[in-house]
Amino acid sequence: MTASRETLRLGFLTTVEQSNDCFVGGLLVTNHLGRPLEFQCTTPVRPNSTQKILYGPTLKPFVMTELIGKTLFERADVKPDILLIDDDDLLGLRELIDKPVACLLVESKVPVLVGGPEEEPLTLGRQHLRLHHAHESDRSSILKRSHLLIEQADLEEPFERVREALQEVLNPGGVR
Amino acid sequence: MTDEFGQSDSRPDEILSNPDCAQVPLGIPTDLHMAGVNAALHRWPSVETQSIPMLGKAPFVPAWKPHWQKVKAFRLTFPDGVEFLPPKQEPEDDKPKLKTLKPPKAKGDASKKKPTRLKPPEDALSLEDRLFYVLQPPLQTWLSGQELIMPFEPFPYQYEGIAWLFGQKSALLADEMGLGKTMQTITALRLLLRSGRVRRVLLACPKPLIPNWQREFKMWAEELPIVTVEGDTNRRNMLWKMPGNPILICNYESMVRDFDNMHEDDRPEFDLLILDEAQRIKNRNSRTSEVTKDISRKRSWALTGTPIENRPEEMVSLFEFMEIVPPRGTPDLRQLQKLSEVYVLRRTKDLVMTDLPPRLDRDEHLELSPAQDHAYKTAETEGVIQLNDMGESISIQHVFELVLRLKQICNYDPLTGESAKMDRLAAEMEEITASGGKAILFSQWTKTLDWIKDEMTKRVPEAGTLIYHGGVPTKKREPILDQFKNDPSSNLLLMSYGTGAVGLNLQFAGYVFLYDRWWNPAVEDQAINRAHRIGQKSAVIVTKYICEDTVEERIDLVLQQKRELFKAILGDGDTSTESLSMNASEIFGLFDLKAKAGKGTKKIGPEKSESLDDSKHAA
Repeated sequence: MTASRETLRLGFLTTVEQSNDCFVGGLLVTNHLGRPLEFQCTTPVRPNSTQKILYGPTLKPFVMTELIGKTLFERADVKPDILLIDDDDLLGLRELIDKPVACLLVESKVPVLVGGPEEEPLTLGRQHLRLHHAHESDRSSILKRSHLLIEQADLEEPFERVREALQEVLNPGGVR
Repeated sequence: MTDEFGQSDSRPDEILSNPDCAQVPLGIPTDLHMAGVNAALHRWPSVETQSIPMLGKAPFVPAWKPHWQKVKAFRLTFPDGVEFLPPKQEPEDDKPKLKTLKPPKAKGDASKKKPTRLKPPEDALSLEDRLFYVLQPPLQTWLSGQELIMPFEPFPYQYEGIAWLFGQKSALLADEMGLGKTMQTITALRLLLRSGRVRRVLLACPKPLIPNWQREFKMWAEELPIVTVEGDTNRRNMLWKMPGNPILICNYESMVRDFDNMHEDDRPEFDLLILDEAQRIKNRNSRTSEVTKDISRKRSWALTGTPIENRPEEMVSLFEFMEIVPPRGTPDLRQLQKLSEVYVLRRTKDLVMTDLPPRLDRDEHLELSPAQDHAYKTAETEGVIQLNDMGESISIQHVFELVLRLKQICNYDPLTGESAKMDRLAAEMEEITASGGKAILFSQWTKTLDWIKDEMTKRVPEAGTLIYHGGVPTKKREPILDQFKNDPSSNLLLMSYGTGAVGLNLQFAGYVFLYDRWWNPAVEDQAINRAHRIGQKSAVIVTKYICEDTVEERIDLVLQQKRELFKAILGDGDTSTESLSMNASEIFGLFDLKAKAGKGTKKIGPEKSESLDDSKHAA
């Protein structure tokens, strides 16, 4: 009997904000080679004016994490081992789910190292990642599986696919 | 005593006695009138008390709750791809040296190359279908060695071709020869199998090309198991029905025979049917065409470098196979153009191989030598008289024989051996040999090639002329090509169109001579492309010899005129490889043939006819 093959499923979660404060989220789960396994997207979430006033600056993170991110993650049939996000506002999702959440750092925003190793950004594929401050232990669980991903893997690219898919959902036939 | 003022100086208390005090009541007597309320005024009011409870905890009723509508989600699950066993690992020594792709660099321009993304096809209507394509990784990611090993990196236009094919239910890949139709097809097929979009594929091709497909599959998709449907009838029947073979390869003839013999219910079904050299079904009435169109399939791809050989109707037959034109449909030119935009992908070298050195064509119009001229005129006059005498009994074959005879005289006069072409060739080869260049010469006659070899050996021995045609035993062919490639003293290779035009890579040769002209420029182009192909470092000079005032000049004119028609369908820039084979009426038109009809004469020959198949032309 052969041992089951080690797998790595990556989730790429992003949200798109439309002009009228309307949010749509998409989650693409791929294998370690970037091949899609499952895709989910939400219907548009449109806060009313009372909600906008009362949530104030917390509205966006709330909608992105609690409403969109959590829903998409919980409904996924194929659960990602690592959830990658492209917006700091989504980092709070880590408090709501039990999988590592890591935010892609834009190359120009990679912090200059000044302190100890805890400030060193986590590197996966070609990208640097930031973790939730209260879940630094995720670093080791991500690194444990990082060997399954090739060094040159571009983790930014799947987000483009998700954004394009969201555009296709909102505006069918828009992608040519 | 009293002072001057009359005041007494006695003590005040002696003077003033105590004043009398009288009380004056201030109350003003009022009389009360009897009003009836007086008694009430005198009565004390009665005061009653009651207890009121104090306020307790203030009640709070929230007017707003953080209620959000439940977020709905849409889910798309991707089909499991077909898993294939990895190719057998060969011992390191035997392993062919494959050029592995360099991974993209983390920084710099190389990594920023625009990736080729799969696009939803025009006819993909459902959201699921469209998202399937949008969410696939870029081809470069898929094929960069992470998952699928590619022996060579495809060119950008090939990536585009693969992406296009991947999405097409109906496709006609009509790239000019040499641009890699086979590789693009195999790779697109590989991705479709991997992504679970197709599971059973049939590829039909002409019999001689089966080994070529087997070789290409091994090179580009080693892990894909292919089964060639061949052998006796029983074996073929077993292979047709055997489950679990994802890719079947067959030749047209056996496919037609086997499907004809199978009961309709027993016929296998396919997710994808690919026709290589799809011009085989250009005649919609042919049995091959009918059987092919009856095969149950979900996707239909046609591959050909020459989608139109003579008439637009040929493309209609391909479109019928692709199920974009209804059976027996007759679309007009405008409709064909519109369908072509969606379902035909055709690229020419000029468009895609911007880094390929140019091909410089020059037509050399030569005057026949006196002996040739005399022989030519005699043969033509006598031939035309003979044909006219035949009247209505004349056939294409008769005219054709005359054309061949005249063309042979244009090559050289069989009596004297005089040849204007040979004179020019010898002069040019001296120069090419002196500069160390290499040239390939094509003729349609092996006899002519043998004659040229003898002449060249006499006239320009330093050219080290080699010969390669159907008469050369197969075992000796490869060494000839090796010698031509590696021996600096071998500068000229003589080849026949039939043997040398297909499948050879001679990109180290900078000169191509077309000693005589083929009937079909597509075949000529195929020959030229042996040298003018990927890997060629310098410009390729193509010299076509055309004898003035001869049938060669007339043929050239007809073919040039025909190009214009096909350009209209396949678009601009497509001028090099359409198959423009002459049809029967055009062959007849080369001579002014008139049969006696009553008192006058009338033209001989068909108004319009099927094109002559290339094989008929071979001498």
